[in-house]
Amino acid sequence: METLTHILNGFSVCLQPINLWYTFVGVFLGTIIGVLPGIGPSAGIALLIPVTYGMNPTSALIMMAGIYYGTKYGGSTTAILINTPGEAASVMTAIDGYQMAKKGRGGAALAISAVGSFIAGTLGVVGLTLFAVPLTSMALKFGPAEYFMLMFFAMTAVSTLAGKSPAKAMISTILGLMISTIGIDLQSGQPRYTMGVPELQDGVGFVIAVVGLFAISEVFTQMEDMTKGVRPEIIKLEGKLWFTRDEWNRSVMPIMRGGIIGFIIGVLPGAGGTIASIMSYVWEKRLSKHPEQFGEGAIEGVAGPEAANNSDTAGALVPLLTLGIPGGGATAVMLGAFIMYGIQPGPMLFQNRPDLVWGLVDSMYIGNIMLLILNLPLIGLFVRLLYIPGGILMPLIMGISTIGLYGINGNPVELYIGLLFGILGYIFRKVDIPVAPMVLSLVLGGMMEQSFRQAMTISGANPKIFVGSAICLVLLALSVLSVALPFLLPRLKAWREGSDAAA
Amino acid sequence: MFRPRVRDNEKDALAEEHPLVMVDRIILVCTLIVAAVYFYATTLIPSLEIGDPLGPKAFPRLLGISLLLAAGMLFLEMWKDRKTAAPQPAAPDLWDLAHLRVLAAVAVWTAVYYAGLETLGYVVASAIYLFALMAWFNRGKWVANALTAVLYSGGSYILFVKLDVNLPKGVLPF
Repeated sequence: METLTHILNGFSVCLQPINLWYTFVGVFLGTIIGVLPGIGPSAGIALLIPVTYGMNPTSALIMMAGIYYGTKYGGSTTAILINTPGEAASVMTAIDGYQMAKKGRGGAALAISAVGSFIAGTLGVVGLTLFAVPLTSMALKFGPAEYFMLMFFAMTAVSTLAGKSPAKAMISTILGLMISTIGIDLQSGQPRYTMGVPELQDGVGFVIAVVGLFAISEVFTQMEDMTKGVRPEIIKLEGKLWFTRDEWNRSVMPIMRGGIIGFIIGVLPGAGGTIASIMSYVWEKRLSKHPEQFGEGAIEGVAGPEAANNSDTAGALVPLLTLGIPGGGATAVMLGAFIMYGIQPGPMLFQNRPDLVWGLVDSMYIGNIMLLILNLPLIGLFVRLLYIPGGILMPLIMGISTIGLYGINGNPVELYIGLLFGILGYIFRKVDIPVAPMVLSLVLGGMMEQSFRQAMTISGANPKIFVGSAICLVLLALSVLSVALPFLLPRLKAWREGSDAAA
Repeated sequence: MFRPRVRDNEKDALAEEHPLVMVDRIILVCTLIVAAVYFYATTLIPSLEIGDPLGPKAFPRLLGISLLLAAGMLFLEMWKDRKTAAPQPAAPDLWDLAHLRVLAAVAVWTAVYYAGLETLGYVVASAIYLFALMAWFNRGKWVANALTAVLYSGGSYILFVKLDVNLPKGVLPF
């Protein structure tokens, strides 16, 4: 009953004009970031962190969450009109969405993805509202050993599910952890790996790393494409921006199923929106009476995956808010933002700051309504963004990154560190090492070491504490399972490769 | 991360000579070097074991060992791939020097911009930096480029200073 009061009070927080405004700014920026191929939610949120310094944390977090789920709406537009996902999770939307656009049904594809996103996004927030409280009561039983194992699970899951090669993702994860050990050790006061650079005593700022790894490296990649003369063709949007009754009937069930898949995948660490939309696509193709239409412009292939990658965002916020542990790149950046405001998400937050938690969750209901409006009648405005030449857009992203890097501490050395991370990220992309695991471990690294050492102190340096409770054992089993999963699902992988080649 | 595979269509003859295997080998060697350097740097941390039984070196040692394990995993993956002789996925043309030279120039130019940021100030330095980049990547559109560079630099300065973000004013009086 108390929870219900908190949930309702959350609406009074998020309906305050100032928070409504920041919800709007968040989803608006999110749509823009989603439409623009190049920057995704992680970079978008990271770039905004310096701007939000003076704001009250509730408004800032509402805005960041808005960017996160807003990008998913925007990403589909780019996927449908230029066959390039505006945001990684809309890969699957591109397959049939682009075919629909070529056949003159682009308006229907855009409309169904906006409506599907709305329904699934709202479904996801309902799920978040329902599941958050039971999970927090479980999380209260977590000690340092359990937290260590939970982070261990999050990292193995991200490593094995984030890219093609688990080994490379694992390398990325561990390098991130190593970078997080740079700086003064909090328990002993000893400087570690600072190489005599005073700026490194506080450690590598994670905003710096994220801006470099996600934004600057993407600019490099796109600039390289530009020098190669790769330029996608934009399909002009024609016809009515709505779907027929028949198209709607074909889409309803895929949207519902996609919404459920997306939420479940979102709650689990590692997989994320891309996997959710792939699973939805595979599922819809299996269930369809006309699987041969998939790849040729089947509306189910747009509706399902789009729904999945939108409810995924709400699902991904479940572990972030209830346990304080993110399961992917964008939520890792959000955790970093929480920490910068001095807020530790987790079960205690639900007890101490119900206004913040529920204000944030409830703002997502409103944000989704705003997004529906932004992405249907106003979609034409956002489509224009696609006509901005890359030669202007990429330099501007570099400019915004500079503000993000400099604005944190006003320290020029951090600019160069950011640039180095940009170059590192570019090389990683080239050689197929995923960067998301590195960002996750950068954010979690410090916490992971602390809980490791606390647990060892409790047990008197006996590592058995990490298998000493049922929760630990379950988490260990899940970690092992997540390593084994890629081998259990080779068929899915083979299928995905096939569809990638066809795209 | 699954990136769109637009570029992979343009494979050339060179790319078929297992460049990925080559790349993986380089990654493997680099990983081993990083692990070695990290182990060495760990020995340099002064040890004053107070309070907790592990001290500041234990977790790093664990990380070093994990990195070696990950390198071992990579080796296994490479070995498995060679055995099954799976068709190499499309190889990015990694060694295209012309493109790399452009990117290196961008990186250097960005570093120059950062170096001048505090003396020249955000607005002036950014306008010059952006204009030069646009002149190269958006060739021929002088007016549009100049306008965007100047308007963006000025506009973002005003906006962010209003938002209390600290940006250097440099040579400009305001």
